[in-house]
Amino acid sequence: MATIEVDGKTLEVEAGEMLIKATDKAGIYIPRFCYHDKLSVAANCRMCLVEVEKAPKPLPACATPIMDGMKVFTKSKLAREAQKGTMEFLLINHPLDCPVCDQGGECPLQDQALGYGKDESRFLERKRVVASHDIGPLVATEMTRCIHCTRCVRYGEEVAGIMEMGAPGRGEYTQIGTFLNQSVDSEVSGNMIDLCPVGALTSKPYRFAARSWELQSHASISPHDCVGTNINVQTLRDQVERVLPIENTEVNDCWIADRDRYSYEAVNSDQRLTVPMIRDGNPENDGGWREVNWESALKYAAAGLLTVIESSSGNHVGGLASASSTLEEFHLFQKLLQAMGSSNIDHRLQQLDFRDDSTASRFPISQLPIADFSNLDAGLLIGSNIRKEQPLLSLRLREATLKNQAQINVIGVMDYEMNFDLAQNIVSNPASLVNEIALLAVEVSKLKENDVPEQIALLASPNEQYNDTQHLAAISNIANQLCSKEQTMVTLGAIAQQHKDASVIRFIAQWICDITDARMVILPPANSVAGWVANCTPGEAGKNTVDMLAAKLKAYVLLGCEPELDHIDGQSAMNAMLAADFVLQISAFKSSNVMKYADVILPMAAFTEAAGTYVNCEGRVQKSSVAAPPKEESRPAWKILRVLGNFMEFSGFDQITLDDVTSEVSFENLSSPKGKTQENSDTTIHYHHTRGLQRISDTPMYRAEATLRNAKALQKTADNPPPAAGLNAKMMEKYGFSDSDLTLVVTTNGEGNTVLPIRLDNRVPNDCVYISAGHLETAPLGADTSVSLEKA
Amino acid sequence: MGIDIKQLYKTFSLKELRKGLGVTGRQLFRKKTTIMYPEEKTPKSPRFRGLHALRRYPNGEERCIACKLCEAVCPALAITIDSEEREDGTRRTTRYDIDLFKCIYCGFCEEACPVDSIVLTDIHEFHMESNGERLIEKLDLLKIGDQFEAEISAARKQDAPYR
Amino acid sequence: MLSDTSLREIQHELSKYPADRRQSALMAALRIAQDEHGWLSEPLIEYVAGVIRVPPVRAYEVASFYSMYELKPVGRNKICVCTNISCMLRGSDEVVEHLNKRLGIGLGETTADGKVTLKEVECLAACAGAPMMQVNRDYFENLTPQSIDEILDSLS
Repeated sequence: MATIEVDGKTLEVEAGEMLIKATDKAGIYIPRFCYHDKLSVAANCRMCLVEVEKAPKPLPACATPIMDGMKVFTKSKLAREAQKGTMEFLLINHPLDCPVCDQGGECPLQDQALGYGKDESRFLERKRVVASHDIGPLVATEMTRCIHCTRCVRYGEEVAGIMEMGAPGRGEYTQIGTFLNQSVDSEVSGNMIDLCPVGALTSKPYRFAARSWELQSHASISPHDCVGTNINVQTLRDQVERVLPIENTEVNDCWIADRDRYSYEAVNSDQRLTVPMIRDGNPENDGGWREVNWESALKYAAAGLLTVIESSSGNHVGGLASASSTLEEFHLFQKLLQAMGSSNIDHRLQQLDFRDDSTASRFPISQLPIADFSNLDAGLLIGSNIRKEQPLLSLRLREATLKNQAQINVIGVMDYEMNFDLAQNIVSNPASLVNEIALLAVEVSKLKENDVPEQIALLASPNEQYNDTQHLAAISNIANQLCSKEQTMVTLGAIAQQHKDASVIRFIAQWICDITDARMVILPPANSVAGWVANCTPGEAGKNTVDMLAAKLKAYVLLGCEPELDHIDGQSAMNAMLAADFVLQISAFKSSNVMKYADVILPMAAFTEAAGTYVNCEGRVQKSSVAAPPKEESRPAWKILRVLGNFMEFSGFDQITLDDVTSEVSFENLSSPKGKTQENSDTTIHYHHTRGLQRISDTPMYRAEATLRNAKALQKTADNPPPAAGLNAKMMEKYGFSDSDLTLVVTTNGEGNTVLPIRLDNRVPNDCVYISAGHLETAPLGADTSVSLEKA
Repeated sequence: MGIDIKQLYKTFSLKELRKGLGVTGRQLFRKKTTIMYPEEKTPKSPRFRGLHALRRYPNGEERCIACKLCEAVCPALAITIDSEEREDGTRRTTRYDIDLFKCIYCGFCEEACPVDSIVLTDIHEFHMESNGERLIEKLDLLKIGDQFEAEISAARKQDAPYR
Repeated sequence: MLSDTSLREIQHELSKYPADRRQSALMAALRIAQDEHGWLSEPLIEYVAGVIRVPPVRAYEVASFYSMYELKPVGRNKICVCTNISCMLRGSDEVVEHLNKRLGIGLGETTADGKVTLKEVECLAACAGAPMMQVNRDYFENLTPQSIDEILDSLS
């Protein structure tokens, strides 16, 4: 500790800390542009110059370490003159276009020019002009306004882990930009906009839409991943204009992913469903569809469902809910289905293996608080593309690798590019993923001198690839880290959870965690944890999503989902929907596919238009507020479900406020202890690869739900490539394909086929082909894992 | 209560009546200040604040850049603006409404405007016949600007030395 | 993109620094690449960045910062004239004027036959011999029109 004096005020501060940090904590204001709490110190804007006693010149507060007995003057004549001089230089080349600049009104340069600038410019020469380049669909550039603070450069290099912006040139000729004017493709690029202290980097979708002073802020939660990012939804005259982060050091720090920032575009899109519609089969109407008022629609829906229930039984109704629904929606949804006499309720559209439903932990809660991701010493990611699945957790892992030299390892099926250094990166393939993890368990058991359960040992039975000593060394290195390091975790990502043997993977991973004291982390899609809390899962003898589709039930109720795209097996989903007598969809978006099979479509409010509760992967319960009224005739989903309950004359549907619904939910599940590994778990391997290529499939980050699919700018990014069959160079040669050839993809059981272009993708391992889900073009392949390719 | 001699004299000599008639008589032969409105009109200051107009540059490009400063400064909340990026990449309004019933003709909008787009002309003789007409829209405002540009710019020029 | 000799040289430069400080060899690597190709094209910069394992934009920052790196094709010979204060006071303006006249090109240009590129540079730390210029790797000081002519005549 050191004692310093700032403007006559005595402060007790950490010695060696930068001066500006101490003054910020004490609430003493020092102007700045390049300094940012989360970034390294650059000291290149010179705005934070202050007078320090005994120093001959003013010193930059952001780069002056504190020493005991220091006397600092932030407002003395010398400091003021230095700050004013800096401001005059910064304004020399800055254009006076504040009236057309989107930063106007919330611009640090504008604000500080008021405090430290002159009334008139003494600079009579020509101002510098810099050409702007298109750097992608999300960030707009106006580089003449740039003051070279390099915050965007440092953000890319240090936080996002992918250095896309740079500062080429020297002195007057320095120009911030990307190499060869390439686009900025980071999945967290939008944060540069918040960091930019001038209007050089602004949001493209928000361009010229509103001024900061006329926007109203609404605290909300992003529904797109299991992080529970705190967002500030800003509206102008009841229309969402932009989304900004709300700082929460426990959850999202001061960052948000582009997904959270730009998904609001879908809310304002013309793809919104705004009026209830029924299909009465009248051929005079468009496809038999007719717009009706709410009363007729609800009556029609209730009658349709009651007919099915009366003619057969409630168990012929299935309910599929989107994982991004709120806790209240999940609760009323399952309550409605239960009242119908059905226990076929599920929200796990991205899962194929449900064998451990009765034995595993009650729900996929993460045993590692989000904030502790930054403090890890070692970790293992199994089948996870965490950078695209939970971008903000990936930033925390990066922080851990930089701060703690954390050893993060990957066992996966694709060589995904991460934004942090990996200690070991084992790229296996879907067929041997389980074996790899079993092998790891064996290695762990050797180190811990603990017998590995026989069923795991059997799975680890060596085959030819384990003769590879390098490979074995990598596995035992991971085992060693998990056993020796203090703060460790094992994370199951989306690919591990979608695997046909996901329950076996969970079983082994849980065993490893139990033995090594590593924290078990399951990262489920969107708001899944709330789905578990609200018991929106199959009841006794109820069917899970896969069984529900396979059983071809008579009626389905869909909450916010489009099963042909949202379910991992799009083909079975489409078939089941087409075969059903009655399908009720509650959705915020129009879909021509849904119109093919649904009988009633009820418009629900989008995520910015309805309040609700979200539970993130660590079990944190957060509430979002209403930012704008529901568009036209649409209504919050919980109200629709509640009134539908009335129309069907069920009891228990008399809630008046959202809080009435929330109070019905018991949060007991959240505090219940984690499930213990069951010795008698079923560890039969269901993944069988016979011939052809193994298909690797994931859901691209901007295809995961209807909201994202309708967000225009996100759809144009590099993270949303058109569907293709990805092969590595060796396989392309082997099969005689070249890039962008068309290929006919046929599943080996011959049931599905589709034509896709070939794309060179060196992330794909040998004898595998990468075909993403979430596209109509790839849906016919279903969840089949063996495919063959033919030239089309 | 005694009798005031002075008061009696005043009353019976009709002093005040004669004084008043004197004033009337003098005014009868003075030059008249009454004007025959609407055939005749009083001169107006170049600062007169009447009906609003949106101006254009001489090349026909509208001046307004949708900075919304007028909207922000308006004490009566009479101005409503929507903006977007026009095809050529410039910032433009898609809506510029002034509610003439709300407007208090303070002229703050004109003072806030960085591009001299919104101005208050010296037109004060306007009327509405139905409720909806109180909302005056972007195209109407531009039309007023086009029609009276000569007068508007002359008035600004005249007042420029005092600004 | 680079010859084996150049790549070996770059590896040698890399070996001078700790494994986690590979970026330190970037400047040397860019010089080696420029020596081989004459100038640094954008694909070449990207290639060198790949060898050093730094982001391409980082290598481009370095290449665009120093005037010794050429980002455009240059002639067989490169003449760099210092025009900073010492040389300017000692007559660098006349030197530039003479070179312009003799070569028929302005600063930053290359002769039509590709023989000479003329560049204006900042101080080359030879103020004692001002006015001066650098031709390829050699310094020539106390320049006069005659000595400039001699130097130009000796160029191949």
